[in-house]
Amino acid sequence: MSSETKKIDIPFNRVEGDLEVKVDVTDDTITDAWSCGTMYRGFEAMMTGRGPLDGLVITPRICGICSLTHLNAAAVALDRIAQVTLPDNAIRLRNVALMAETIQSDLRQAVLMYMADFTNHKAYQKHPLFKEAVARYQMLSGSSVVEVIRKTKRLIEIIAIIGGQWPHTSFMVPGGVTSIPYVPKLMQSRLIFNRFLEWYEKKVLGCTIARWQAVTTRKELAQWFEERPEHRDSEVGFFIRFAEKAGLDTYGRGNDHFLCFGNFPLPKDTAVTPRVPGTDQLTTPGFFRETEYLALDAASIKEDITCSWFEQKPVVSHPFDSVTRPYASGNMGKPYSWVKAPRYDGLPAETGPLAEAVMDRVPLFLDLIRNTGATALVRQLARITRPARLLPDMGTWIDELLAHHADPFYTPVKTIPDGQGAGMIQAARGALGHWVTIENSKISNYQVITPTAWNGSPRDGQNQPGPWESALKGTPVKDPDNPVEAGHVIRSFDPCMVCAVHIVKNEK
Amino acid sequence: MKTVYWLQGGGCGGDTYSLLSSDFMDVSELFTTLDLKLLWHPSLCSIDPAAHERLLTDIASGTTPLDILMVEGSIIFGPAGTGMFDTFRGRAKKELCHTLASHARYVVAVGTCAAFGGFGAGHAIEATGLQFTKKKKGGALGREFVSGSGMPVINLAGCPCHHDVIAGALMAVASDVPLELDRFQRPLEWYNTMVHQGCTRNEYHEYRVEESDFGEMGCLFFHMGCAGPLVPGPCNKLLWNRHSSKPRAGVPCFGCTSPDFPKSNPFFHTPNIEGIPLELPKGVNRAHYMVYKGMAAEAAPERLKKRSAKV
Ligand code: SF4
Repeated sequence: MSSETKKIDIPFNRVEGDLEVKVDVTDDTITDAWSCGTMYRGFEAMMTGRGPLDGLVITPRICGICSLTHLNAAAVALDRIAQVTLPDNAIRLRNVALMAETIQSDLRQAVLMYMADFTNHKAYQKHPLFKEAVARYQMLSGSSVVEVIRKTKRLIEIIAIIGGQWPHTSFMVPGGVTSIPYVPKLMQSRLIFNRFLEWYEKKVLGCTIARWQAVTTRKELAQWFEERPEHRDSEVGFFIRFAEKAGLDTYGRGNDHFLCFGNFPLPKDTAVTPRVPGTDQLTTPGFFRETEYLALDAASIKEDITCSWFEQKPVVSHPFDSVTRPYASGNMGKPYSWVKAPRYDGLPAETGPLAEAVMDRVPLFLDLIRNTGATALVRQLARITRPARLLPDMGTWIDELLAHHADPFYTPVKTIPDGQGAGMIQAARGALGHWVTIENSKISNYQVITPTAWNGSPRDGQNQPGPWESALKGTPVKDPDNPVEAGHVIRSFDPCMVCAVHIVKNEK
Repeated sequence: MKTVYWLQGGGCGGDTYSLLSSDFMDVSELFTTLDLKLLWHPSLCSIDPAAHERLLTDIASGTTPLDILMVEGSIIFGPAGTGMFDTFRGRAKKELCHTLASHARYVVAVGTCAAFGGFGAGHAIEATGLQFTKKKKGGALGREFVSGSGMPVINLAGCPCHHDVIAGALMAVASDVPLELDRFQRPLEWYNTMVHQGCTRNEYHEYRVEESDFGEMGCLFFHMGCAGPLVPGPCNKLLWNRHSSKPRAGVPCFGCTSPDFPKSNPFFHTPNIEGIPLELPKGVNRAHYMVYKGMAAEAAPERLKKRSAKV
């Protein structure tokens, strides 16, 4: 039997900026994939030679939906260089704001970007839940869309209370934060939080967070499903029902290496406990390979530019030593993307909410992966239920801020000394790192590796595909003009091409 | 019913996320109430790639009228004027921008990148705004460009632009309400007052009670690099996300509504000579200002010197 291989180019909407994926399709199945970031924004031109604090203002502009996360990474890198110890309140305030940003991102991604594809008429008009999907997820008018816009907008008010505005504030500075929120404002934050929590439990989960946390296996998930109509009608319930019938539990498996930088440092005096005992942050840093958990080793992170449109010297380097000069464009030779290929210990690695769940040993996700592998469904389920893991601790920290209100929020840092520091944290989309070098009181090198660079990486010198390039292989494509299945796979990684577009040095 | 196409160029998406915080009205209500049909927005639409191609052909041939073109992000011309640093299906996106703009009744630049080039202007990516590159008129569409309505590009400056400004401008153009523009084509409605006006630190500024580190309550202008008295904009007058603004939270205004944002001198620091900022509040006379500030500092009330007035 001879089967013909078709080559199709898929542009992706609903991601920040620009992404095009080229795939080979044989017998209605993707047999190979190349992920191409089509935009280059050349940020570092303006970082080099600037004042040491300037990353706090410039890097949030890398990405509008996780601007605070970039701010946090930039601030952590400077905290390290200044070797300053933060007051507990500053840690709490930073964590609360970052959690609010992460949670809005998870819900907007799930409902406005992911489930929106369920209204794709050409692909799903025969799906038994199509009508309901349209009623919920029709752009700008679906019931869930309208609700998510309203509720996430309210949640973000907490960031405005803490930091002045969202997006693009710069309230995190080395040593802590720029302001002390007044007690009534903190109480308002608590009330905004309470309302959001109530809505999340009722509409997104369909049960209390405690009930959801009790679901620890695939079998228990099936029981939870049958238990009450509210569970089936919730966003989580509907997502599972629709996705299973559409087959999202059968494809989209990445390379099964998971990377996490860890996040939310714990204040010295706090009731919040780490997910894995013994670490000093809430979510766990580390690398997962096959069955092995490895401690995070920052020296194992390298960038490979064999297939990226950058000058090829050096081809592989640690971010502190990376040089990034744009070189060539269009279609030529091996390179095919403006995104570099980050590697951990030489391996491509998936990062994001599912990687966090694996690293935090969340039993349900370990069981799901054991059974079906890390499919598009599992990855997306990890995202929409992550707020259930963050909200309780977020509430605790708001309460602690109220209780410890009279304590300091800032440790003065007079000047930033020369030196090197890395700010490695978890963004909504996964591991984010800023590597900063200050020389003669100026930034001499600033390198960022974003989560999307990990997930949407092109091939490297060993010809290893990036995680979503791997995940696309084996994905069915019923209609090459409307490759919605490929969209499900890539969107389960929550791509954000704007931030993947590499920060580079100006070529002068 | 009027049609809207939202083009994303070289930007961060921050203006889209700002717009989602629009409160009166929220985004979905805004579009229904104004009877606007969103033909395309990269994050808020779900048409398949083939349908998007057809839409672009129909706009280009005039079959589908385009009433409002909203552009977010700069127009990228690098390398060497080719635009290949930002492509759409292999073609430079600057060309798509040109085609759409030539068919639109109104063209609105949302955010400082689209208005003036923003972060990439003057750098390797050769970013420009739609009708300006920093302070220089011209940009991607040219000095003489006017859209179908006879208006030049409407520049909603800000990084990001305030949500109420984007919503307000949409209301205006959807109803053909004329917007009066300043010399950088920013609507006077939102850009005829300084960011300074409405700042809760204003009294500290008046008596020159200065702040020289974070976490204090004084004015951020004299040492901390605040551009509040230097640039026009609605922050402080219109609160962000219903609650606050950067200066209220102790973060200096970075002057993001200005065509030359971001400047090359370091943020969080005011260039000065002997404590007097090089750049003085818009429109003041240097000699008078120095006398006045000296006296004001002398006359400062105790409650301000003690920083007991909350901000
Ligand atoms: S902090 Fe900035 S905006 Fe506020 S009064 Fe001072 S100069 Fe004006």
